[in-house]
Parts: sequence; structure tokens; C-alpha cells
Amino acid sequence: MSGRHSVVGRNLRKVDGFKLVTGASAFTDDIHLPGMLCGKILPSPHAHARIRRIDAGKARALPGVHAVLTYRDVPRVPHTTAGQAWPEPSPYDTYLLDSKVRFVGDRVAAVAAETRAIAERALRLIEVEYEVLPPVLDMEQAMAPGAPVIHDEPESTKIYDASRNLAGHILREIGNVQEGFREADVIIEREYRTQRQQHCPIEPHVTICWLDENNRLVIRTSTQVPYHTRRQVAQILELPVSRVHVIKPRIGGGFGGKQEMLLEDICGALTLASRRPVKIEYTREEEFYMARTRHPQILRLKMGARRDGTILASHMRVLATTGAYGSHSATVQGNTGSKVLPLYRAPHMRFECDVVYTNAPVAGAFRGYGCPQGFFAQETLADELAHELGIDPLEFHRRNVIRLGDVDKLSAQLGEGKEGLPRVIRSCGLPECMERGAAAIGWEKKRGAGRSGSGNLKRGVGMACTMQGSGIAGIDWASAFLKMNEDGSFTLLAGASDVGGGADTVLAQIAAETLGVTLDKIVITSGDTDFTPFDVGAYASSTTIISGGAVRKAAAKVRAQVLELASKMLGEPVEKLDCAGNEVFTVCECRKAVTMTDVALQALYKEKLQIMDGASHFNTDSPPPFCATFAEVEVDTETGQVKVLHLATAVDCGVAINPMQAEGQVEGAVAQGLGYALTEELVLDGAGRPVNPSFLDYKMFSAKDMPKLTTILVETEEPLGPYGAKSISEVPINGPTPAIANAIFDAVGVRIRKLPIRPEDVLNALRAREAGRVEEGAAK
Amino acid sequence: MFDQVEAFHRPGTVREALRLLESGKGRARIVAGATDVAVQRDQSTRILIDITCAGLSYIRREGGGWVVGATTTMAEVEQAAGMRTLANGLLARTAAMCGSLQNRNRATVGGNIANGSPAAELPTALLALDATVEVATLKGRRTMPLAEYQAARRNGGGRALLVEVGIPRPPGGARTGWAFQKFGRTALDISVVNAAAGLQLDAKGRVKSVRIALGAVAPAAMRAQAAEVLMTGRPLDRALLAEAGDAVAEEVRPITDVRATAGFRRDLSRVLAMRALEECALQAGCRL
Amino acid sequence: MKTMQLRVKVNGEPMEWSIAPGELLLDLLRRHGYYGVKRGCEEGECGACTVLLDGKPVNSCLVFAAQVECGEILTVEGMARGDRLDPLQEAFLDHGAVQCGFCTSGMLLSAKALLERSPHATAEEVTEVMAGHYCRCTGYLKPVEAVLAVASKKRGKR
Repeated sequence: MSGRHSVVGRNLRKVDGFKLVTGASAFTDDIHLPGMLCGKILPSPHAHARIRRIDAGKARALPGVHAVLTYRDVPRVPHTTAGQAWPEPSPYDTYLLDSKVRFVGDRVAAVAAETRAIAERALRLIEVEYEVLPPVLDMEQAMAPGAPVIHDEPESTKIYDASRNLAGHILREIGNVQEGFREADVIIEREYRTQRQQHCPIEPHVTICWLDENNRLVIRTSTQVPYHTRRQVAQILELPVSRVHVIKPRIGGGFGGKQEMLLEDICGALTLASRRPVKIEYTREEEFYMARTRHPQILRLKMGARRDGTILASHMRVLATTGAYGSHSATVQGNTGSKVLPLYRAPHMRFECDVVYTNAPVAGAFRGYGCPQGFFAQETLADELAHELGIDPLEFHRRNVIRLGDVDKLSAQLGEGKEGLPRVIRSCGLPECMERGAAAIGWEKKRGAGRSGSGNLKRGVGMACTMQGSGIAGIDWASAFLKMNEDGSFTLLAGASDVGGGADTVLAQIAAETLGVTLDKIVITSGDTDFTPFDVGAYASSTTIISGGAVRKAAAKVRAQVLELASKMLGEPVEKLDCAGNEVFTVCECRKAVTMTDVALQALYKEKLQIMDGASHFNTDSPPPFCATFAEVEVDTETGQVKVLHLATAVDCGVAINPMQAEGQVEGAVAQGLGYALTEELVLDGAGRPVNPSFLDYKMFSAKDMPKLTTILVETEEPLGPYGAKSISEVPINGPTPAIANAIFDAVGVRIRKLPIRPEDVLNALRAREAGRVEEGAAK
Repeated sequence: MFDQVEAFHRPGTVREALRLLESGKGRARIVAGATDVAVQRDQSTRILIDITCAGLSYIRREGGGWVVGATTTMAEVEQAAGMRTLANGLLARTAAMCGSLQNRNRATVGGNIANGSPAAELPTALLALDATVEVATLKGRRTMPLAEYQAARRNGGGRALLVEVGIPRPPGGARTGWAFQKFGRTALDISVVNAAAGLQLDAKGRVKSVRIALGAVAPAAMRAQAAEVLMTGRPLDRALLAEAGDAVAEEVRPITDVRATAGFRRDLSRVLAMRALEECALQAGCRL
Repeated sequence: MKTMQLRVKVNGEPMEWSIAPGELLLDLLRRHGYYGVKRGCEEGECGACTVLLDGKPVNSCLVFAAQVECGEILTVEGMARGDRLDPLQEAFLDHGAVQCGFCTSGMLLSAKALLERSPHATAEEVTEVMAGHYCRCTGYLKPVEAVLAVASKKRGKR
């Protein structure tokens, strides 16, 4: 990595590392407040029903119960739970508690009691009479004439067409795809199906609320979006924002599942009702189906190319379901088009999408945000196209992928719910990613080689190129504030949310670099709505580039104040001064210097001046990080089991502020991508009930399942990012699925077009091929 | 979670445990490693009887075979020298596949059998070894084949306590082999299908005795008797393995669940049985 | 509600606690402020609640508190000596093996137990032990590397 900087670019220890390795009280649940009650939600047993009668009398009478809430006890404020900038581009279709339930697990009532056992008993004492309604469970039936209407309530707004269960509809085109296909020599059209994946953060959602001594509602919660949560809870509970204080402690993983106001409103309501601190902590089971999932999609993709391999036209049609409520419904699916199709320089692109409601667990933000689905379709179809044309996939990509200096016009059409901004590619390391990733996997040698030979084990290699964004252009923004302390250290207040990926460390490194101090001289506090300035939160891969941009700006302003005072102290003009290593010094042979401590003491006690400043920052573009993923698999043709032997990921994230943390992001994203490809699925039965809401039955990759991982960081310099940084937290999750699907084809000549790719699916496809049949999901 | 539990006992003898079980009148539950009991959270339990102090943790030789106390943990089976040599280490290797190390440090042999999960691994291997179990009631003790215990358990257990597992001396000699195969969706999954096999060849390479047991393809672990009969006395070659595999696929009674379809389990039964037998053949010095 | 008395050593200190008969070890420890022991699934699958019981890693969510009578428990809080971190804790920090940190306590304890019985543990042994800990952040690579680094340091020592 570049050795240009002294703090940025270094593998420094996480600034919060000590408390994490010593098990110190750091997470939401690691406190106990006297009198704290246990809150629990009564989930609906029905996928679709009206509450005809609800009687909480017996529950309220149970000793130890301090509050029971039904829809009659709380304000009716339509809102979205999506953690997005206001006005949120998601339907306002959700209510704190409602007289209708729309999925198995939907809120019916909530209790707060002295112990978990009493709370559970109280739930069982709530008498509910349901009028069970026919559910809509098949997304392909949701818009059929006569389908039950899930959102028939008049108060909801921003639903595209509630009468047809259509939460969102998107149509965007650049060029004219009909024209493009007319010119194409080869056209392939395929259908792909993706599943419900759950985030499975090891720390489930948990929130603790209490009224402080000023009668303000304090919310200590496991969230990626403290500020959006503050605004939304205030709105829902009809409190002024100034009366709500949200604290984000250490978070045990979010991955998008906590880019949501999920428990804070109901927990706050229970606190207001009981006047006691209340904790709601999801059990693992509740986390599976009462939190959020990835959007399942059916994608129809048609691509046309010339014989020389140039892609002329891409037409993608997506049917997705957002489950019972529309949080992130248009924006996730918008990404499926806007971040995926423009990977290729086709002059003609068309993206059409319907997002429907079904009576199923709610889908929301999940790392990749619509891209894993889209890239699964596009990168496997591209592989098929290359194969059809007799062009090596690596070469096929080289010819077609977006390049430095290109303008992505589709993004202009598909901004977050409204017209976006065109995207200019100002940094692009994709060619190097492809070369280095291919070398790491042994592409030349292994491609096509594993099919021959006797025995039931066949090997193959496959690849995929993917990209993402770095913050939402024109919408994501952040601010930061710094003040100088006696010992030459700086307190950094950042609104940003470190949810485990190391954001606090990265931001501290940026501040330290800018100020010319060592990392230990930055003391960072983040994610507290009373003390830190605004930040939209941790999503859209925005923290390093946007929050980091704000930190850089704020630190630069503070640096200027430091230099001004040092200039006075040294009797030298500011232009001759520089900061590094906790000192300000003259850049000349006769080196004169003052330490940061000297400057601080001078300021505080002589000048009577607090050196401090803050800054806000946003970008009008979203520079994509680029990724080339290569997979080597071994297929057991007798069982269909796919073993991934090696997964190589080459990422251009701009400049990696902390390369070790950046690698960690890649490796974690890849592990989730592997599960998405091969093992993870939240299954629902015919009545919409979750079949496998437990770690026993929903399988993630464990340490023993992981393949050999190679992580390559390709450095470019992004003008819009602090010290050249872009982002890395999402993009590596997009590649493993198509790379593995393509590797399976290389190994055994079958294509699986639904996820997850289970051994049964591979075995069935192999059999179909042997029998000379071509089945849905398989190809010759 | 277990707020309704009124008493937790740790009896020092089996007799005491049985008396507590009797006086509990259906509201008492035996617990050892707790890896099943604590997950099941049976709300009707009022009394827990922890038998890990009742002298049932041991592995020792008896007669020509071995006996394993009911509260011996999976980890102990995995690490015991005797278990690593018995039947070419079949039980040690199988025990090592029973979940994470944390769970193997607690889960017990007796608990695993008594819990009766159709997908359990150890009962499959034990069945292949013709294991017996000893059950104690206040009226006395009785030893029975594992299969009989499993059948009785499915018909309602009563107030009996599984106290010991007995493994008779397995067929030995240089021309024997023992193998265990497990298929899961991930490395630490519960079995989608598992299989245990034992093979003994005579001097001419014919099958002198064979055991094929399968798990997760029937309400309890089962022996593929038709396949065993088919193989006995015949020269061992690939064709025989394929025939045996087909017979196994016929015999199993798998279900469809979230882990796999019945059809896929049937296919896997064939493959795993054949692979287990191949592994045995290799150990027995037979090149197929 | 009827309670029992429990005597147990936690991180070297003898404790005498009042417990409910059906109380689980995880709840007991967190109730007494050992927040390093995490609640992840309550079904013995994720390993976040791992503690060492008489030197062996177990899922505390599946141990009844009454069962640890006279036992010795080590939680992550007992690994460091004041400011001096255990070599495994240092290694986890140096190798970027800690992201959100929620699975870290459990991993550290399992690794500690492993290196105590097998000081020169191989990659395969380390992976086998780590397999009992779900981590959604790291992909497991850096935690395994961190443990191996400590194991090889021990190998280096004569």
C-alpha cells in the first residue's frame, strides 16, 4: 500500500479494540438500569388478518405487568421504518400498532413486565379474535386481478398502487433496447430466482429506552441510523425531536438489517406508558422473521451482443417482493438496475421493475442492496453469452466493462427514488483487479481443465465483475466536529455509526493524518444524537467517503487554527509550517518546532481560546468501487455437493485507509456471499410461517466451510474521497454467487439459475443433462 | 425460560435419580449435558434431575467388549484411547462429528440416544456395532439391543433411565474395516443423511460379515438388512457395492424437510452407504 | 420463588450466589455483570456465550447454573491481567481479527483452551475449534491467523 502517509494506509489497531477483546460493557444490552422492565411483542400467528377484538385486561391484571399496548392505546401515524434521509423514498405504510396484521410475526400488541417470564405469560393472556383473510404469498400472484389487497388502509401514502399490491414501480431506459437487439448477432434471455437471506447479526436487534431526569426519552439501541431513528420515533410517538436522545453503543453487526427503525418506537411507547426503563431484545427466532430480510426477486434478463463480443443491449425486468411493508422497496430494486447494468458499456439499457407486497416477513436493506440479485443474473448471463460466442469470459469482460472517464447515464435515471445524478468514473482499477484475481486463481491453467478425468469430483473456475457505489450522490451527508485538548490530543465527535466494520478507526485515522498527529491522539465519540453532529448513518457504503470527507474537512479547519497559533508562537508565516508526528515545524533547514501540547496549552490558558471547528460534507457523485471475483469449485457429481476450494477477490476501493480492516470487510462480505450462493434461505410454509428460523436449520458458513481466501486490494486514487478512498464494505458480497455458478458450469456443464444452489439442484441438473433434457434452471 | 422449574437435583446414585423421577410424577425431567433439554424448553417441567454426578461417566472394558456410561460426553468418547482403537476408531470418529466442540464437551452418549433424534450420528454407529443399552427402573435393570430401546422409546418411555451402552466385541482381524459418512449442508449441520458400515472379509476376499446402518432416513437409525443379506458370502467387488447401494436406497424411508427432499435423501443413502463400504474395503486391504 | 445457593469460582474468585433452580449459566453470569458473555441464539449454535468450565469450552446458554457447583469458570474478563492483555487478545488486535467484537469473547476463550492443551496447534485444529463460533463479520480468516500466530510464537520458544 502507498507509504505516502503516516497514519492513513497503515494497519493500525482498532481504536475500540481494547474494550472488545476484554469483554467490557460496550454493547446495548451491557447495562442494567434499576427497575428496567422486559418488553415483548405479541406476534401475529396469521399471515393476513383483521383484529376483530383484542382484550388485554387479563394481561394488564397480571402482577408484574406494567404496560400493555394495543392499537387503541397508541397514536396512528403512517410512516416507514426504513432508515433513509427524509422524506424517505419508501411508502408510509407502517403503524406502531394496527388493527390489521399483514405477516406471520407482525405486531399485535406489546407488554412490559418485571421479568421475561412474566412478559411471556402476559402475552399469552392477551385475547385476540382474528378475522383471518386470504393471504398473498406468491409474488407472481400479488398483482393478479382479485388478489387480496394487503394495504387497504386510506391513511398510507407513497404506495405506487395499493389496489394491486404494488409498492413500487420503476421504468428507466437509455437508448432503445429494441434497436440494440436488432443489431445484435447473439441474444440470450434467461430467468433467475433469488431467495430470502437473513442478516443473522450475531447480536440480535435490541433496544433499551428510559425517561431521563429531564423527562426526555433516551433510546440506547443497536442501530445503523441513530439520527433517522430519532426523527422517526419523535414523529411516531408525537414528541418533539428535541425530547428524544438516541445513543448508539458498539453494535454486534448490522449488514443493513439495522438500517431500520425496528424496535425503538414500540420500546419508547412502552417506556412512556410504564414510566420505567424498558428493554426489548429479539430472540434469535424473532430476529429471523420479525426483523428484515433481503428482497427475493425473479429477474428476467436479456442481453444482446455482436459476434466480436461487444454487448449492445441489456434489458432487465425484475419482480420483487418487499414482504408486508415497503421499507426500502423502491430503492433496493432501483439499485438492481442502476448499479448492475452500467457495469457494461452497452449503449442501450432498459430496466423495469415491479415491487409487490406479499404477506411475508418484511424485506429491507441488506449489504449489496439489490446488487447481489442483479449481478447473479447479469454475470451468469454474461458468462453464457461469452460461452456462446466462444470468447473467454475474462476477455469478454475486458472488452465490455466500464472504464475510467466513462459516464454512467443510467444512474442519472435511477437515483434514490427520484432523478439522480449522472455518474462519472474518476477512478477505475477494474482491469488490474481482473488481471490479479485471474492470476491468483490460476485462471489460464484451470479454465476448462477440471472436467476431464475420471472420478466423481470435477473442478472448475468461474469469475464475475461487480461494482457498487460509495454513498448516495446528493443525499448522503455527514458532519464532524473536533476540539483540541491540553495534551495535544483532539476529541473527534462524528455522527457516523460504526457498526463493527471499524468506522471509528478509519475516521480517527483520517483526522490524525490531516492534523499531523498519531492515532492515539484522537479520541472519537460517535453516534450520539445529543453530542455528535448529524450523519445519515452507516449504509450505502458511505462512512469512509462521506463521513470521512466531513472529518477531513473539519480536521483541515482545525489544522488551520493550530497553524495560525503556531505561526504566532514560532514567529514564522503559516505557509512555512507543516504538522506531523504531534508537532508543528518549519519546513526548512533550521527546523523550529512546537509540540501540539505546547500549542494546546498556549491556546487554552494564554489565548483563552478553544481550538475547535466542524464541517458538513456530501458528494454529488457516487464513485463505484470495483471488484473482480474468481472462484474455484469442486463438484461431487454423485451428490451434487459444491465445495468452493478457493475464492479470490480483487477490489479497487480507492485508497484503503486501513488495509487490514479493508481486507476484513472483504472476507466478511465474501462469507455472506458464499452463504447466499450455496446454503442460506429463510423458508416459509404455505401459510406464510417461517419454517427454519434458527441457526440449526438456517445454515451460514462456519470456519470449517470457508475456502481458501485471497484478498487483493488494488489501489486507485478517487478525487472525491478523503485521501483517495472510495468504499469496500458492500461490493465484495456481489461476486461470489455468480463466480461460483459460473465455476460450476466450467466444472460440469450445468447452469443453475436459482439461489441458493443446493446439492439437489446440481444433481437434478446433471441428471437432466444426462437424460438429454433441458430443464428450467439447467442448460446444455 | 425455565422459570417454572421448582427444584434442581443432583443425585449421587442412579437409585436416587429414579426415586426423584418417580416422585416427580411426569413433571420431572432427566438432564445431563443439557444440550437437548435446554433447547427444548419444555414448559411442563417442574423438576430437573441432573444425573452427571450419579457415577455414569466411564468407558471401560467388559467381557470382550466395552461399556460406556450414559453421561460420558461425546468429547470423552472422541478422546478415549479405547474408543480410538475399537472398530478402527469408529465411535471416536463419529463422536467428533456431533456438533461443535462446546457441544461435544457437554452432550452425552445417553442423552443423545434418549433424545431420539432420527438424525443423530452416534446411534447409527452404535447400531452398526450391535450395541446394547442398559435401562434402569426402580424395579431393576434390563439390557436390550439398541433397536429395541429405540422402538420402545417411540412408544412412550416411562420412568426408565438409560444408564449404560454396551458394545460387544466387534469382528476383528486384519481384514476388517469400519467407516462413518455424514452429509450435511455445512460442516457442522445435523445430518441430512449419515451412514456407518463395518466389513469383515475372509481369506478369499468374500464378505464374511457386513453391517450397514443409516441415520436421518427413518424415524430412528436403521440397519439395511436386505443389503447386508445380499452381500454376505459374496466376493467383494464394485458390482456388489452397487447392488448393495441399490438395496439400501430401497430400504430407507426418508422424509422431506427443510434440509432435503426424500428423493435426495434416498440418493444420498445409496452414495453414502457405498462410500462407507469402500472405506471399509480399503481398511480391509481390498482394492476395488 | 425458591432459590438455591451456588458456589463457583469465576476468573479465580470464589463466588457464592443465589440462583433460581432452572436458571441458565448465561443468564446468571450476565446478571452478575459478566457482560463479555454474549447472548446470540440461546440454542448452542453460535458460540457467543462460550465460557471455559473446568478448562473446557462450553455454551453457557445450555448449562444450568446449578450444574457448575464447585466448578471453575473462566470468562473473557479473566483473560487480561489489568492492563496486560493475554497474547491471544493482543494477536486478535494485531491481525484485525476483531470487527464488531460480538463473537470475540467466545473465540478467545476457545482458542485459549486449545492452546493450553495443544500449544503448537495446526491450522486444521484451530479451524475445528473456531467452527463452533459463528462470525458474520470476519469470514474467520483473520481470527484463525491470529490464533496460529500465537501458536507459532509458542513453537518459537524453546
